[in-house]
Amino acid sequence: MTADRLPVEVSGGRAPLLEVSGLVLRYDTEVGEVSAVENVSFSLGRAEAMGLVGESGCGKTSVALSLLRLAPDNARYRSGSILWEGVDLLGLSDQQMRLYRWAEISMVFQGAMNAWNPVYRVGEQIREAMYQHFDPPLSKPETNQRLDDLFRLVGLDPAVQNRYPHELSGGMRQRAVIAMALSCEPKLIIADEPTTALDVIVQAQILEELKEIQEDLGLSILYISHDMAVIAQVTDTIGVMYAGKLVEFGPTREVFRRPRHPYSFLLLSSIPSVTGPRRRPVSLEGTPPNLLAPPAGCRFHPRCPWATEQCRNDEPPMMQIGPSQWAACWNAEQVPEMGDQLP
Amino acid sequence: MIRYLTRRLVQMVLLFLVFLTVTWFLLYILPGDSVALKYAGNPNIPPEAREVALERLGLDKPVLIQFRDYMFNFFQGDLGVSFNQYPRPVVDIIGERLPRTLVLFLTALVTYYWAGFVAGKFLAWRRGNRGEMAVTIGGVGLYSMFLPFFAFMLIWFFSVQLGWLPISKFLDPEQWRDAPFAANEVFMRLFWVTLLTAIAMFMASLAAHRTRGRMLERILRWGGGALVIAAFLFYWFGTEAGQGMRIYAGDIAFHMILPVLTLTLINFAGVMLLTRSSMLETLREDFILTARAKGLPEGMIRDRHAARTALLPVATSLVLAVATVIDGGVITEAVFSWPGMGEILISSVLSEDIPLAVGAFAFIGVLALIGHFVVDVLYGLLDPRIRVTEHG
Amino acid sequence: MVEMTNLPEDPRPEDSPVSAAIGGGGESWWKIRLALMRRSFRDNWKIFRRNKVGVFGLVIIAFWGIMAVMPTVFFATGFWTPAVYDPVTGLELDPPTRTMTMVERITDPNTEIDRRAVLLDGRIPDTLQIGDTFELPLQPAPPDGRHWLGTDPLGRDILSQLMHGARASFFLGIVAAVVTVVIGTTIGSVAAYFGGMVDSFLMRLADLLIMIPGVALLIVIGAVFTYQLWHLAVVIGVLSGFGGTAIVLKSQALAVKVKPFIDAARVAGGSARHIIFYHLIPNVMPLSVLYMMFTVTGAIQSEAVLSFLGIFNTDTSWGLMMNLARTQGYLLQVADFWWLTVPAGLAVTLLSGAFFLVGRGMDEIVNPRLRRR
Ligand SMILES: Nc1ncnc2c1ncn2[C@@H]1O[C@H](COP(=O)(O)OP(=O)(O)OP(=O)(O)O)[C@@H](O)[C@H]1O
Ligand SMILES: [Mg+2]
Repeated sequence: MTADRLPVEVSGGRAPLLEVSGLVLRYDTEVGEVSAVENVSFSLGRAEAMGLVGESGCGKTSVALSLLRLAPDNARYRSGSILWEGVDLLGLSDQQMRLYRWAEISMVFQGAMNAWNPVYRVGEQIREAMYQHFDPPLSKPETNQRLDDLFRLVGLDPAVQNRYPHELSGGMRQRAVIAMALSCEPKLIIADEPTTALDVIVQAQILEELKEIQEDLGLSILYISHDMAVIAQVTDTIGVMYAGKLVEFGPTREVFRRPRHPYSFLLLSSIPSVTGPRRRPVSLEGTPPNLLAPPAGCRFHPRCPWATEQCRNDEPPMMQIGPSQWAACWNAEQVPEMGDQLP
Repeated sequence: MIRYLTRRLVQMVLLFLVFLTVTWFLLYILPGDSVALKYAGNPNIPPEAREVALERLGLDKPVLIQFRDYMFNFFQGDLGVSFNQYPRPVVDIIGERLPRTLVLFLTALVTYYWAGFVAGKFLAWRRGNRGEMAVTIGGVGLYSMFLPFFAFMLIWFFSVQLGWLPISKFLDPEQWRDAPFAANEVFMRLFWVTLLTAIAMFMASLAAHRTRGRMLERILRWGGGALVIAAFLFYWFGTEAGQGMRIYAGDIAFHMILPVLTLTLINFAGVMLLTRSSMLETLREDFILTARAKGLPEGMIRDRHAARTALLPVATSLVLAVATVIDGGVITEAVFSWPGMGEILISSVLSEDIPLAVGAFAFIGVLALIGHFVVDVLYGLLDPRIRVTEHG
Repeated sequence: MVEMTNLPEDPRPEDSPVSAAIGGGGESWWKIRLALMRRSFRDNWKIFRRNKVGVFGLVIIAFWGIMAVMPTVFFATGFWTPAVYDPVTGLELDPPTRTMTMVERITDPNTEIDRRAVLLDGRIPDTLQIGDTFELPLQPAPPDGRHWLGTDPLGRDILSQLMHGARASFFLGIVAAVVTVVIGTTIGSVAAYFGGMVDSFLMRLADLLIMIPGVALLIVIGAVFTYQLWHLAVVIGVLSGFGGTAIVLKSQALAVKVKPFIDAARVAGGSARHIIFYHLIPNVMPLSVLYMMFTVTGAIQSEAVLSFLGIFNTDTSWGLMMNLARTQGYLLQVADFWWLTVPAGLAVTLLSGAFFLVGRGMDEIVNPRLRRR
């Protein structure tokens, strides 16, 4: 029942596409080390949609960027591995890693509004990626054909590719980013808050389309969001992060029905429609800890209404609770019921 | 784009009219009768010229009439007659000097922008924030170096100590004593040939920048460059016209090295510092992360994405650089006794040759205005956002 | 100035409440403002101090500041006597001499003048024969105990001239900077506040001014006017104040203008003059101080160039020191007569560069985006 063995079980025996185990990532700063990702393990199968949720600053983007090895310069990988179809990405040379980017794993960035270089046409920026990764290279007509198809796929007029980024609306830009992410036939797309800056209607449309594309093309996708409702809509499995740690992991339905970590529980109870009218909403008080000096024991204990002496002293490991659900809490078994006994 | 350009052009012309008006009022009207005094008291002015000048100035006429006459004459190309080189018309002198200044100015501008940009690019790319202090202080030191002092240090080092380069002047009179060409003829030939070469070089590198094939890019960049240089050399060594002029053209070019070097070094640091900070800022942009994620090679991220975008603020700074480099050119010409617009400006001011001084200044103004116009166009080409906003 | 393109996007946040709180303009508003200014000065100093480049510049400025006051001290204490050390009229009556032996006589074939005699200012007695030795008074003399940086060809003390030159540079720089800031903030704020015709007129004017090569203009002005140091300072200040500085400060004032406290003041019935002088100008002030620094750099350089070219005449200035070296033909003999050129040339570079460095350091205060965490 250690974290290391967790992923394979969850993926239900299928050979996982991606297997992250014991990943530790810290940022070097002038004032000390920021422990942004601490012993995170999970796995992701082919054609699977996984969600990663958590409050702002809990390390979601750091995990995502690690998969592409794009974390900022001051990031240090202390331990762990990221296996992509059995190859440890952390062990590759920069040259080798370059071949994995976009061809295997592509990404829709947080705040994709700025993902476009303002001085080149949108189509040109996508073409540039395709030019790098198709071997043998696509011919000119093939490239154009593919571009047109991509734009239609994401619901854009192919003529849009001849425009400059500033000539597109936010929604169009985001759609074009998705087209770019799909351009090199990746196996995994990481979508880091893909719809945050958009209005609700466009947001829903894009999510819907993304979901469809993912299913049609048999892609894996890693959704990152702090919005539980979005995650519920589009994912098969979910990981909940708190202060750099993965605190709960399991099938989305299970986790939503019966969260096993107090943090997930509190997050979910803020969405009445999902948690049902039976439970009264409980608010999450306090702020996330400073990752320069995270609290001892369970990182959540200062904010946990049910924290015990054990929580304060000992760090809980990932423990299997249900058939495929895992949580890092000493009192995982009691979690949902405790909600009714709040002071 | 066309509409934008016409609008800018009209603005430029209007600005020039204002500029000329202000200059005229400043120099001819404000000092009261001091101009008249200067004409009367200047021993360099031949008596008949004094008469003509005083009449031309029409100091007894109403101010507006004087102004109208001046403007009228100006646009007919009549800027009066120089006193020191009497009776040579000012326009004639300027016509001879303008190309020279233009060459000095353009060569230095292109060299220092290019060098500063490349240096700034690599500094930002390689070292990030490290060495910031040394680079900044070194850069600012060079940037605020007192130009004449710096120029004389260079002259002292390269010409006096090492004896490699000529100390000053436009050409070596000894060598030209019985030359079959006039200096200006050779100079203009040199000017055109070099300009064509530079344009061809630029086209080749632009084409290389546009292509995406690795091999093709290399071939275009290096092969194209080599071809252009070969053609340049062939002209001077292979053709009859070139061979005859070669030593004279070489002498002029030889005399240009130090002035260009001075201007380049002095101005280079400012561009370098600006490029560096602009590039560091660009490197923090999301689209750089996107480019990395797309698995583009590092060189491509640096040149096509980071540097190309970091170029925008650097190009904006050209607007201010036009005035700065003209100023620098004026000082450099004076220091090297290099006979261009700046040199006549200063010598005419020192010898109180007012028509020549005003004429030179007016043309320096024209130069600055054209420079601005070109920079505007350039910026429009570089930044698609401007291009479109200005459309409609 | 290349740096001008780095426009800050907003004013410092702590400034807005200041003006808002004082909008009413009670009796003691200036006391509060003074207190707040003192506080923000202390905070800003903390930020500035972290910037090594800026501090380095400040140290150089302090050095020249001390240099500028030293002559007063020296003359007052009697350490220097005006007769010898005055930068303009001083003269070393007892210069060091060098014993020389006549080796050969070189006569210029064209002019038939003894070349060496010309070079030495005719100080070799005609009666001298080859093989004779004679005492040659050394003027310019190299540094010694009496003249720490030597003397110039007229027998005047270089160090004294250098110190007085620093004084002139400070005077020039400060006057030019103050004029720039007064004009620049006013023009910028007025253009931003009124917009429309006023704005486009002022901005077109500014466009014109930044296009004109300043040194060339000053040279031409020199053709018609005979001007003094403070004229020059004012002209430079006006050119920069109506030109580049106005453009930058206008965009800053525009950013301030849309802040809620301006609307509040307007609703409360504040007149245009009140809003411009009590709200806009105080808020663009910090940025204008930055441009003060760049103006000083430009002013020092311009003056040095004009003096060097002999177009502008003052009593003492660094440019003039180099002008003398040039007209007397010592400029290219750097190795033998370094004290005639190097101290003055370096002084111009150092002091103008130092103001530029301080400006860059201040950029971080005024422009928080540049601050490192
Ligand atoms: N380059 C860096 N240097 C130092 N600390 C960093 C760096 N980047 C991120 N951090 C810190 O690491 C932690 C995790 O950041 P990360 O961006 O991964 O969070 P996130 O979950 O994506 O947040 P959000 O929802 O706001 O995007 C944060 O506390 C952040 O302050
Ligand atoms: Mg994030």
